[in-house]
Amino acid sequence: MSQSSFTFPLIHNSIGIMTPFLLAAIGGLFTELTGMLNIALEGLMLIGAFFSVVFAALTGSLMLGILLGILATMLIAALFASISLYLKANIFISGLATNLLASGLTIVLAFQLFGNKGVIRFENLPKLPVLSIPALDRIPLLGDLFLGHNVLVYISWLCVILAAVVIYRTPFGLRIRGTGLGSATIASLGLNPVGYQFKAILISGFTCGLAGAVLTLKLGAFVPNITSGRGWIALVVIYLGNKTPLGIVIAAFVFGFAESFSNYAQGAINIPADFILAFPYMITVLAMVGYSIWRHYKARA
Amino acid sequence: MVRKRRVEGFLAGAFGLAVTLAIAFVIAIVLIFLLSKQPGKTIYFFFVGPLTNKYYFGNMLNTVIPLVFTGLGIAIAFKSSVFNLGGEGQVYAGSLVVTVICLSLPNTNGYLGGFLALAGGLLAGALLAGLSGFFRMKWGTDELISSFLISGAVALIVNYFITGPLDDPSNSLLATRKVAEQFRLLKIFLPSKLDISSVFAVLTAGVVYILMYYTHWGYEMRMCGLNREFSRYGGINVSTYLVLPMVLSGALHGLAGGVSILGTHHAAVKEFSFGMGWNGIAVALIAKNHPLGVVPAAIFFAYLDAGAKAAMLHSDVTFEIAAIVQSIIFYLITAQALYKFLRHRKRAVA
Repeated sequence: MSQSSFTFPLIHNSIGIMTPFLLAAIGGLFTELTGMLNIALEGLMLIGAFFSVVFAALTGSLMLGILLGILATMLIAALFASISLYLKANIFISGLATNLLASGLTIVLAFQLFGNKGVIRFENLPKLPVLSIPALDRIPLLGDLFLGHNVLVYISWLCVILAAVVIYRTPFGLRIRGTGLGSATIASLGLNPVGYQFKAILISGFTCGLAGAVLTLKLGAFVPNITSGRGWIALVVIYLGNKTPLGIVIAAFVFGFAESFSNYAQGAINIPADFILAFPYMITVLAMVGYSIWRHYKARA
Repeated sequence: MVRKRRVEGFLAGAFGLAVTLAIAFVIAIVLIFLLSKQPGKTIYFFFVGPLTNKYYFGNMLNTVIPLVFTGLGIAIAFKSSVFNLGGEGQVYAGSLVVTVICLSLPNTNGYLGGFLALAGGLLAGALLAGLSGFFRMKWGTDELISSFLISGAVALIVNYFITGPLDDPSNSLLATRKVAEQFRLLKIFLPSKLDISSVFAVLTAGVVYILMYYTHWGYEMRMCGLNREFSRYGGINVSTYLVLPMVLSGALHGLAGGVSILGTHHAAVKEFSFGMGWNGIAVALIAKNHPLGVVPAAIFFAYLDAGAKAAMLHSDVTFEIAAIVQSIIFYLITAQALYKFLRHRKRAVA
């Protein structure tokens, strides 16, 4: 990472690190608004991570890799949605199943394709293009926040804006929100609430696929279970963000910052690595408990 | 009449379960044909491998033990409609505490020390899960996510202790020293690793069954699980039953880690228990959260795992195909529409 050229490398790195959280959470917002607890975010992200890097390496094109990765993720999302909505499985359990399937499938395929269950490096993978305007990079804060990121970071911002518009300014968004508030109301209007839930899961598949692509394409490698709990943190981000796009951006930044700080601490302060790895989990628990305490007393007042 | 209906319901459930498992097995066979260059051999080891000799069979039964404990822990929680997703960390922390107590009392009597150690492991699990229950009761923090996150942090901290201060330098393995001889549990099916705690596991299933179905606490827990608002209206102290099932669930997870140490591993090895927590959820689901169903469900689950391991050792597939088959079972096991469809079909046929 180009730490030296930025005034606040900590903030600059936070933006890069928050991107998978942001993407998974913004797609998860749709499922959350339709009244479903989508714990499959983790597994969907893993599917996206695996297939985008594999397809990018096979085709030699980042664009194709990302698109096919997203497609694969949406296929698994469609499977998850069909079983939950049409076979009426408990969505919590089918979500766990999706996570288990993703973990098993990616490792089995990695073993089958590359004969290896460990880290798989892709040597001649094209690099993600980075937006760099050297003259402006050094502007304090603004340069850190907005410049020098890879193209997927900007796409994630586009997704957030698009999601906000769709949720608040279109009939589709209104119906998505309506489904969560009372599916009977939507049904009484002659609309199909299950259809909206299905589409919401597909949307979460789309953004999770992209979120996974961010992880592996930046690294140029696939690591088994590379998502390592990020999908769960994305769920917490949705709650802490109060189920609004802007709130999610802020909450995702907080987690990006926490992880960026723990990366920094690893080099600078003499703390065992395991404690530093545990730091994002602890921050998340503390934030969650703090938020529920705040909500608890606000509801009483 | 009521009894007849109950028997019918049970039969329909059993039929549905059989169909689910049959579909899962068919998918396993298809997967093996797709992935393996020698499918016949792979299928043989996948399905028959665990049953071919005493050593494999006993070892398979040995892996059932922690699954019974974690499965029971999950069944208690799910039956009470609280969600403990922190099993992984609770098992791992329980095993560390058991190891540490045994290592710090090297000259104690085996029974006394073993009892103290298991009590410590049980307590560690209970505290970790209880914490999430407490947050839920006090402030409404979602226990499903908080227990998962706490477990994630705890697992890493346990890793630190095993690979750092407690690491045994005389051994290249990332593990603590071994516990003294007198704490190790009796092997009952040599040459396999199966130990006496298997009996203890089956007894625990009986105890949990009595607790859930024949005691006041169990009744109130199940009522809260069915409908919390209605239970509150009926005068049950609902907030107690947000914490108690979590505490019991965590305690059983801690025990799962503890007996794995005293029975099988004799030392806390880095990440040795990973999977036991998640698999406990699978076991509880296959058992439909019934304590007595947990034992056969755990045996079935262990059989799948042992089959995949045997196929990996003797053929050319990787162990993780078990995860794919397990996820298919997960998907279908709560698919209510499928069950309803099967029930109607059966009635039409009969």
